[in-house]
Amino acid sequence: MLFFYLLATLTVLGALGATLMKNLIHCALCLILFFLGIATFYILLGAEFIAAVQILIYVGAVATLVLFAIMLTQNVVGETTLKGLGQNRWWALGLTAAVIGILGSAIHHQRFSAASYAGRLTTQEIGQALVVVYALPFEVVSLLLTGAMIGAIVIAMEDRKKKQ
Amino acid sequence: MELIDQLFVLLKQAILKTSESFLPPVFLPFLSILISITAIALFAPLTMMYLTWLERKVIARMQNRFGPNRVGIYGLLQPIADGIKMLTKEDVVPLGADRVVHFLAPVAVVVPSLLLFSVLPFGRGMTAVNLDIGLLFFIAVSSIGTLAIFMGGWASRNKFSLLGAMRALAQMISYEVPLVLSVVPVVMMTGTLSTQKIVEAQAGWRGFHWYLFTPWGVVGFLIFFICSVSEVNRTPFDIPEGESEIVAGFHTEYSGMKFALFYMAEFLGAFAYSALGATLFLGGWQGPLLPSWLWFGLKTFFLVFVMIWLRGTFPRLRVDQLMSYAWKFLLPMALVNILAAGIWHYLSFPLSLIVSASVLLIGFIALSRLAPTGTRLEKRVYRYAE
Repeated sequence: MLFFYLLATLTVLGALGATLMKNLIHCALCLILFFLGIATFYILLGAEFIAAVQILIYVGAVATLVLFAIMLTQNVVGETTLKGLGQNRWWALGLTAAVIGILGSAIHHQRFSAASYAGRLTTQEIGQALVVVYALPFEVVSLLLTGAMIGAIVIAMEDRKKKQ
Repeated sequence: MELIDQLFVLLKQAILKTSESFLPPVFLPFLSILISITAIALFAPLTMMYLTWLERKVIARMQNRFGPNRVGIYGLLQPIADGIKMLTKEDVVPLGADRVVHFLAPVAVVVPSLLLFSVLPFGRGMTAVNLDIGLLFFIAVSSIGTLAIFMGGWASRNKFSLLGAMRALAQMISYEVPLVLSVVPVVMMTGTLSTQKIVEAQAGWRGFHWYLFTPWGVVGFLIFFICSVSEVNRTPFDIPEGESEIVAGFHTEYSGMKFALFYMAEFLGAFAYSALGATLFLGGWQGPLLPSWLWFGLKTFFLVFVMIWLRGTFPRLRVDQLMSYAWKFLLPMALVNILAAGIWHYLSFPLSLIVSASVLLIGFIALSRLAPTGTRLEKRVYRYAE
């Protein structure tokens, strides 16, 4: 239990740091701390596969891409990064409250039975579920990702005509 | 024979047995974990120290020199002397550096590379943590090290460090894709992600039923090995720390023990990746006559030797060559390899060999012919992104 609260504090601190810090790189590093915290929660819940995937995708790929994007922007360390938020503050607060409200009510109405926790899913079962039971959503998601990839390639495409 | 094979396992059991008499039974699982951790925490730095010695010695021989030969016989005490020197050196932190991140980076780079050792099967029954998802754990944890390198490079507030860090990020994210895809055939064949079960699946043929001896195994192993050399930043893929271009890359501004920690992470990574390569494709601890941990050690050290050999042989790649090699050759080749593994699985013996080998050959020839050669060094004009 003590362990849980320690991890929870660390994770929340990471999330707060990611939103409140002035330096964009520090924000990204706090975000990584937050991702790692979430992964440890998955391990505590016995979902090792999800934890590993969380680290692989969020820490290994998403955070790296975030850092890359930051490196390609100007004013990384600037004190100017936080200025634009001033007039949008109330909008942001309202939106956040709405999201918290919706999520909170959803969690509140969901009845978590003891049985749903007790099952320790093996990797094999997850794989079976992905390609047998949930094959259609899985394929739709891969179609979506392929579309996004083609879009990225089109954006980054070289203009051969203009050069000649 | 059995005794030598299970020497370390029996040793651990003996320690647990003797402590049963004076420890309450609640603590025994913790003691068991503690013994494994201690073994790894002792083994890893010791290996790293003697890997530096091995590398200097081998490279020296390849260059017709003697290498370290002053401290101890054959320079065997050189790593210890180096360690003492590193510890007593002045720790210089640049004035403009981001002190906290600069301090955290060397720690953050070593911890993941130590964690890698926890899932390696060092011998029969000698996996410290026999995770159900060992392979996935290895790949996930090894991707954290990249971020630590970035932290170090960025926090130094130095152009060369930043360039090195950026190169490291780009390189590792590129080579991770073919690396993961190259191990997929092994997972397909064994149906498990546990490193121990993957080794057990390669039993038979008097201990020579290695995946290396199948068409998809050869190609997968080569892709895996090339990518792992790149993942641990070793020559010919060491552009993040290319001395001739960017001083020392991400660790330019590190000195003393902090520098040594970066160095340690690199060697631990090289060893861990070699060990994983041996596990996945060279049958891990399987082999005739010799005890299992010796087989594992021999295979791993052979792969480490090949890494050193590559360093002594090849010049460094250019950034654009490195990227196009990963994305235009290794990645499609890894996909072709997955197809070949599928064919191997579903056809019976003589046909499976012929068809999957010819698929791989056609894929290789097509990719090496189709891949554009040469680079035009001019400004790119984008159609939509300007």
